[in-house]
Amino acid sequence: MERIVHVEKLRMKFPGDESLLFKDLSVSFDRGEKVLLLGPSGCGKSTLLQVLSGLIPNSIEVPMKAEELKWPTSWGYVFQDPDSQFCMPFADEEIAFVLENLSVPKQEMKERIQHHLRQVGLNLKTIHTSIDTLSGGMKQRLAIASVLALEPEVIFLDEPTAMLDPEGTKEIWDLLKGIGRDKTVIIVEHKIDHVLEFIDRIVLFNDDGQIIADGPKDTILSLYKNEMKEHGIWFPGVWDEYIHDNKPIREHQSSDGVPLMQVQGFSGFRKKEEKIKVEELQVHSGEWIVIRGENGAGKSTLLHALMQFIKTNGTYELMGTPIKRVKNLTDHMTFVFQNPEFQFVANSVYEEIAYSLRIDKRTQQEIGERVHSLLEVFRLEAHQDKHPFQLSMGQKRRLSVAASIVIEKKIILLDEPTFGQDSKNTFALLEWFEEYRRRGITVIMVTHDDHISNNFATRIWTVKDGDVISDEKVSTQSGFVETKVLSF
Amino acid sequence: MIVSSAETWLHKVNPSLKLVALIVLCIVALFIHDLNYMMNVTLGVLLLFLCFTGHSIKHILLLSIPFCFIFISTSLTMILFGKGETLWFEWGLISITEESFMRGLLVGFRALLFAALGLTFSLTTRPVNLFYSLMQQVKLKPKYAYSFMAALRLIPIMMEEFQTIRNAMKVRGFEKGKGIRSVYFKMKAYSIPLLSGSIRRAHRIAVAMEAKRFSDTRDRTYYYEFGFSKKDHGFILYFIILLLAGFYLSIQFPLLPI
Repeated sequence: MERIVHVEKLRMKFPGDESLLFKDLSVSFDRGEKVLLLGPSGCGKSTLLQVLSGLIPNSIEVPMKAEELKWPTSWGYVFQDPDSQFCMPFADEEIAFVLENLSVPKQEMKERIQHHLRQVGLNLKTIHTSIDTLSGGMKQRLAIASVLALEPEVIFLDEPTAMLDPEGTKEIWDLLKGIGRDKTVIIVEHKIDHVLEFIDRIVLFNDDGQIIADGPKDTILSLYKNEMKEHGIWFPGVWDEYIHDNKPIREHQSSDGVPLMQVQGFSGFRKKEEKIKVEELQVHSGEWIVIRGENGAGKSTLLHALMQFIKTNGTYELMGTPIKRVKNLTDHMTFVFQNPEFQFVANSVYEEIAYSLRIDKRTQQEIGERVHSLLEVFRLEAHQDKHPFQLSMGQKRRLSVAASIVIEKKIILLDEPTFGQDSKNTFALLEWFEEYRRRGITVIMVTHDDHISNNFATRIWTVKDGDVISDEKVSTQSGFVETKVLSF
Repeated sequence: MIVSSAETWLHKVNPSLKLVALIVLCIVALFIHDLNYMMNVTLGVLLLFLCFTGHSIKHILLLSIPFCFIFISTSLTMILFGKGETLWFEWGLISITEESFMRGLLVGFRALLFAALGLTFSLTTRPVNLFYSLMQQVKLKPKYAYSFMAALRLIPIMMEEFQTIRNAMKVRGFEKGKGIRSVYFKMKAYSIPLLSGSIRRAHRIAVAMEAKRFSDTRDRTYYYEFGFSKKDHGFILYFIILLLAGFYLSIQFPLLPI
């Protein structure tokens, strides 16, 4: 076997960090291998991928040292964020950009562009299509097409489906399986369901960026299950084990009395266009509602409409009061965004949580007590003096939830709260929502994760093409499922 | 950002040439002090703007509104408050003289000319084409050209992020704060996430570009190639004739007696 990528005794450290990210790390890859790098978030897998491709130190300057380092002669790299890997406005121009870099003559370009778009199954009406009009999955296809234009021996994949829904994820992996057959593929990925059939080797990392195991996938999966569980890695069956160990119970709260929220003939508008329509829905306290549907069906729009971020029409009452007459909607409802960074307003984690309390003019003592209890629940005490932007993604998410609910609200709306979280953080967040739900607070969340709808939700709304098409109640206790079909 | 329109001969003029020609014309306009000449030149450019940008009349008139306002406001200040000998009208601070009236119109037309030139250019030139042409004709370094093109992609993304931040602030009870302190807070709360987001995105795009083997060498090939054609000759000729004929007409058949 010929070694195609290789690093020996790698040492590197990010400026400002206390300790080394890698200490004497050695790993090598043979031609044609399909390898998955697996490890807890923040262990340096993506960084290693960048070192192996030469992006570090050639494009990103990070001090590093290695006794031996062999980069592949031709390689391509697919990044996780579909929005920040293109530099041109149109699909054909983006692939042309790659061809220009390789000095391909102009006459051959059109044909090559069409060829690569066909390879990834991107059937556009015209190759001159604006990238902004493509969906996330299509954008990642385009990114793969431009990588193929490089005619690479080695393909590096850095969580290419992290921002996609389950449907898009499956499509991208099916595509990659075909394309990567005769290439060397090195992958970093958290959602490993679809990846497993494709790869033959796993390299497992621990928190300190050390390789704890390296070998054929089946051996690793069976021998290192506990390590993976401990590090929050989404290995196959992690949900089954969690449910086996914890047995979450969903019982219904009584649903009589005045409904917390009631909508009828309700629609939400974006740019004067009707984007979401609800015939009739009632929400009671202590419910956990999951909103399901494909990308672009209008799930987030429904949340935005309920939160009055967008213009709405029809009847919408909150505890019997028409929404227009509710003075401070945010006293009753709160919203946690998909990207937590947008929500931060203060300079430290402590102040971030205290912010709403200070606006509410609570006493100093009350603020202190409340903030400390939340810091503890969300495991952020050690970071309370840091700037919110310095936290890791999982910590940012927890902080954004803590800051949103510091003053207890009756309804919490969440947009993909478990997106990109490792299993440990996901379960911690879910357990915490469950505790709130039991206290009578209503949780309404958009999520793609079927495990959440199957194990935690008490009610599921399905959205399709801007319409809430079904509303079903689920319960594990009595095992009954009552489906109410709203419209077709 | 991209407004669809029909393609006209102005679209096909070499973008670099168009840019240079329009800048030269702007400079020339600074040295025109004869009102009749100025009016002739402005009318010639307005003709291009109104008839040959390929956009609908409705769209063009809509775009003209702010420029009519500029024309009126710049000329009015000069007309009403400028100094002069031949007094036409006086009322308190306001004094209209013949000289101030003429000078006011001159300044107004100059502003209108600049606006018409700028709009004509931007309505008939795609930024991507401009930068491709600048790389080929003016030898602009690809490094700068592609970073500008990548930055243009960021603008709509930033607008979307701004909306999200605004909603997020609403949720946090931001609107409740009042006074100067809260304005300061608001500025900070909006600008820091917006800036940090853009910096991070720009860095990611830069890395992605290098991963696609972008380098600053000049021996790259181009997907769009720009050269010169008869349209370019026509374009230059139009302005030469405009300047000469405008001058001739302003002497032989002045629109306003001076």
